Amino acid sequence: MKNIKDSAKPSHRPVWSGSITIGLVNVPVKLYIMIRDQAFSFRLLHKEDGQPLKYERVCVKEDKVVDWKDTVKGYEVRKDEFIVFKKEELDAIRPESDTRIRLDKFVSLLSIDPIYFDNSYILVPDRSEEAYSLMMTVIAQMGKAGMGKVTMRTKEYPVVVHEYRGALILTTLRYANEVVNPSGMEELSQLKKPGKKEMELAEKIIKDLSGEFDINEYRDGYREKMEKLIETKMKGEVVVAQVPKKEEVKELMVALQETIKRLKK
Amino acid sequence: MDDLTKVSFTNLEKILFPALDLNKSRVIEYYIRIAPLMLGSLKNRVIVMNRYPDGVNKDGFYEKDAPKGIPQWVYTFNTYSEKAHREIDYVVCNDLDTLLWMANLAALEINITLSTIDKYDTPDLVFFDIDPEPPCSFDDVIDIALLLKEKLDELNLRSFVKTSGKKGLHVVLPITDNYNFKQTREYVHQFGKFLARESDIVVSEFRNSRDPGTIFIDYLQNTRGKTMIAPYSLRAQPQATVSTPLEWRELKKGLRPEEFNIFTVIQRKNDPWEGLMESKQSLEVE
Repeated sequence: MKNIKDSAKPSHRPVWSGSITIGLVNVPVKLYIMIRDQAFSFRLLHKEDGQPLKYERVCVKEDKVVDWKDTVKGYEVRKDEFIVFKKEELDAIRPESDTRIRLDKFVSLLSIDPIYFDNSYILVPDRSEEAYSLMMTVIAQMGKAGMGKVTMRTKEYPVVVHEYRGALILTTLRYANEVVNPSGMEELSQLKKPGKKEMELAEKIIKDLSGEFDINEYRDGYREKMEKLIETKMKGEVVVAQVPKKEEVKELMVALQETIKRLKK
Repeated sequence: MDDLTKVSFTNLEKILFPALDLNKSRVIEYYIRIAPLMLGSLKNRVIVMNRYPDGVNKDGFYEKDAPKGIPQWVYTFNTYSEKAHREIDYVVCNDLDTLLWMANLAALEINITLSTIDKYDTPDLVFFDIDPEPPCSFDDVIDIALLLKEKLDELNLRSFVKTSGKKGLHVVLPITDNYNFKQTREYVHQFGKFLARESDIVVSEFRNSRDPGTIFIDYLQNTRGKTMIAPYSLRAQPQATVSTPLEWRELKKGLRPEEFNIFTVIQRKNDPWEGLMESKQSLEVE
């Protein structure tokens, strides 16, 4: 097994705890975040004085700021036409957060198309080491993954549980209606069958370029540049908490010009 | 900030001398205007800053280590500190931008070592700190300084004087690189003992330095890594006084150290300490 050189750091707190259930079998587990988005986020500042900006909810008709307590949710049926929902109405149909990962089917792990994978979490035993180990070992050996569903934070997800590097991993899946079927696309309906010679040549190229999958071969160049830039900026300039009044600076610049002239003599 | 300086000035409205209603922009302006006279004596010396980010009425703090967020273009010198028992990156101020960067950090007081980084263990300045204890007057301090000068003149040594910016006077001898700090310290101590014999108000020993109505010839700063307030540095005093280099003839009775302050010192055209670094002299020591 290859090392993951640049893997993200594990988190300290589980995001959820409950159990995997298969019929009456019950394996208590804790769920940890596995995927860490490494994108940089910037705060939006006022260009003139470098101070952070805040967002406000402004009513388009009155052009006035509206308090959170004076807001309701609306569903846009047609442009600018809304059905209004009260909080109680929405709460009534919201699924309750469950404490069970219900598995009801085991499939071959390789048969699941990666298109459906959404987000992955690490499952660790919650005083259930024996049962956890048994389940992990058996599905790993059989090359299987457990299919089922779970409700987290009021949303119900299809999930798959499989073994990866000595851990059970829970991956939430996309619903079928969230994934576009490409076969309906016009550009794809008129593809011609390639000739034998072309096929042979293409096969050779692919064979020559064949190798092992290694994610470490890919680096986020933008991120690395960004990190370097942040580092240099931090060394180069004191963070501007408050930018001075313009006249003050002007006076200093006049003095500076005189001094620089004197120093050059 | 334009092309004139690499420093981004911040918090310019912050009041640093409340009694005079002076904000940080006035402090930066002072250091801009004094730079032509001041930079020479800072050159290649380790700097210790006394910073007063909340003004002189609040506690300031010493900063020996180059502070966090130090710009890359600020020159630093790494050496072992006996006092801190570790290596320290010291700031060295060889240009206007570094001086202004320090001013922007509210480093009102700028202290320099008595040796340069080229030969950090070898003093190139001998420092006599004439330090009065009330009720001694500044006239008394002038008397003792002139007595010291007389003695140094007899030895054909050219000495330089400045106000401390508080109640005392500082006398400095530039010397050749043949001495160590132990020798310069002892040299000043011997002068203290001599002056103590000549004058009733002078004390030469540290244990007497706080005796009321005495003047202590402080020799102890003549030590590796110890500092004196730099010529033309502001002092964290209510009146924004400046440690001001003077001509010996300016030392006359009735002079008050408060006359040399943030407003008056920038009017001074000539530097009485000009040529100090070119006047290195040999001492006669045992």
